[in-house]
Amino acid sequence: MTVIPAVQTHALGKRYGSRWALRDCSLAIASGSVTALVGPNGAGKTTLLHLLIGLSEPSAGEVRVLGWSPREQPQVVLPRVGFVAQEHPLYRGFSLAEMLNVGRKLNAHWDEGLARERLARLDIPLGQKVHRLSSGQQAQVALTLALAKRPELLVLDEPVAALDPLARREFLQSLMEAVAEGGLTVLLSSHIVSELERVCDHLVILAAGGVRLAGSIEQILASHRLLVGPRVDPDGVAREHQKHAVIQESHTERQTTLLVRLNGHEVDARWRSDDVGLEEVVLAYLGQQSMRRTEPERDLTEVAS
Amino acid sequence: MIWLTWRQQRTETLIAILVLALVTAVLVPTGLHIASVYDHDGIGGCLAHPTGTCTERLDAFAGRWDSLSSLTGWFNLLPGLIGALLAAPLVLELERGTFRLAWTQSITRRRWLTTRLALLVGAAVAFSLLLTLLMSWWRDPLDAVDGRFQNGFDFEGLVPTAYMLFAAAVVLAFGVVLRRTAAAIGLGFAAFFALRIGIEGWVRQHYVAPVHKTWTGGELPGRILISPADALLRTAWVLNRGSGFSATRGHRPDPSIVESCIKNASTRGFERTCLAQHHITEYEYAVYQPASRFWLFQAIEAGIFVALSLALLGFAIYWIRRRLS
Repeated sequence: MTVIPAVQTHALGKRYGSRWALRDCSLAIASGSVTALVGPNGAGKTTLLHLLIGLSEPSAGEVRVLGWSPREQPQVVLPRVGFVAQEHPLYRGFSLAEMLNVGRKLNAHWDEGLARERLARLDIPLGQKVHRLSSGQQAQVALTLALAKRPELLVLDEPVAALDPLARREFLQSLMEAVAEGGLTVLLSSHIVSELERVCDHLVILAAGGVRLAGSIEQILASHRLLVGPRVDPDGVAREHQKHAVIQESHTERQTTLLVRLNGHEVDARWRSDDVGLEEVVLAYLGQQSMRRTEPERDLTEVAS
Repeated sequence: MIWLTWRQQRTETLIAILVLALVTAVLVPTGLHIASVYDHDGIGGCLAHPTGTCTERLDAFAGRWDSLSSLTGWFNLLPGLIGALLAAPLVLELERGTFRLAWTQSITRRRWLTTRLALLVGAAVAFSLLLTLLMSWWRDPLDAVDGRFQNGFDFEGLVPTAYMLFAAAVVLAFGVVLRRTAAAIGLGFAAFFALRIGIEGWVRQHYVAPVHKTWTGGELPGRILISPADALLRTAWVLNRGSGFSATRGHRPDPSIVESCIKNASTRGFERTCLAQHHITEYEYAVYQPASRFWLFQAIEAGIFVALSLALLGFAIYWIRRRLS
């Protein structure tokens, strides 16, 4: 039995007018993984997620979710995918019982028991109106609705961006519990890196409409090193470049620090080689983007539409 | 999906029902009153056999309701108001982003859209038919006397439904692009009234070339008791009417002669004799759309608004299906 990746994209692109919000994005998300999609605002994260869920139509390339095209076969893809949009929209004037009714009416597969049990555990009464809930509770309700579909793939767009640190922790906690129950592939976008490491096992860095890095977090941490040594000139950096990919360099008068991705080469003995944290790696890749911006500046503000 | 649509439109539908209830509360008592006066004054008999004092009675009856009838001009707002109200929940859904919740459940976007629009159009048609029935009943005695072409055209027949559909469609079309409910309703209203006023004021009278008719030999202007024009024109949509003097062979008469004839006149008979001596005749003219064209005009105007509504709905559907994400 061949394992179909939960998500596979090939040269996927989305253009709004003359502006590419996402370009040439090729990506595979393994079934069963929990993947964080990180990048600055405007990197194309929402665009990518909307393409995956079938909310928007690709301008270029291909996308397959659980082996199907979300745009061509929505009736196959939608029941198997849970989605929580940015700012976790809910019908404000509805009571929670009515929100559950929405889920029940609009989904052939609907786990009412799971939904009720989760809300009970979160201590949110069914009679409560949505607009009376805190932002954290609303996010939890949105997650509950998505989980009650019993999806194979759960896609979350900036689920914790609007939450305070405590609500953020609680949200990720309940997400982890859902993942622990098994059978769920999760893809969540975030521009906040901290805390993702506890939840996610894979990472995709998206910047300026393209994929900068993708892989398991374990691999990423193992393959990136911080090299510290005596100051070297740009030629020295270039030499180092032939062995490793230099992601970020910084120089003081006496010292040079390089963040590199090892490409199987040994590190020179003159460098002190340190472990590097995930957040540093991410920031380095995002910084690389702004450093190398030689091409004419393109307006790549993230569009929700 | 039907439950969800109803739940989302519930408030707006109830407001629309409340508005209709208020309108009913005004129209039913006054309508009953008008009908009772109509019976009491024997207006129906007068219309069937116009004899004796009938002209005065008909004029008095029509004049009696002038102020009340002109108040109903405000009801021109209703199709726009209710149409916009019905379109608002859909625009609000786009503004608040909850469409992303709806579209990522298990039903397709096409089904979502079909249900929403079917119920929206259905509600608009139902409300406008109720309003049309109510207004037609209320105006029935007035229409019997004055016809419905002149004062009842906007409230009866097919056009109220077309207006309401158009109002809903134009608000929706602005709404899908702007995704701001207040702005969509504001602009939609402006467009609705601009088109209504433009068509009513400048276009409607040209659907079919109006009838030009001239009468000669009537009484002099200002003293007309019954002119041959009246019976015909009462129920027509009169665009223009008046009277004048003409010399033989179409020449313009000398104003000073006309003036001297009228000024020196001691009796009406003398006037005419005086004018006849100078080969001047007095005439009356009218430019009008006859009452028999009422349904043709209704069909044309409703057709225009329905066609525009369909175009706007088509645009909204395209935008929702292709452009929104």
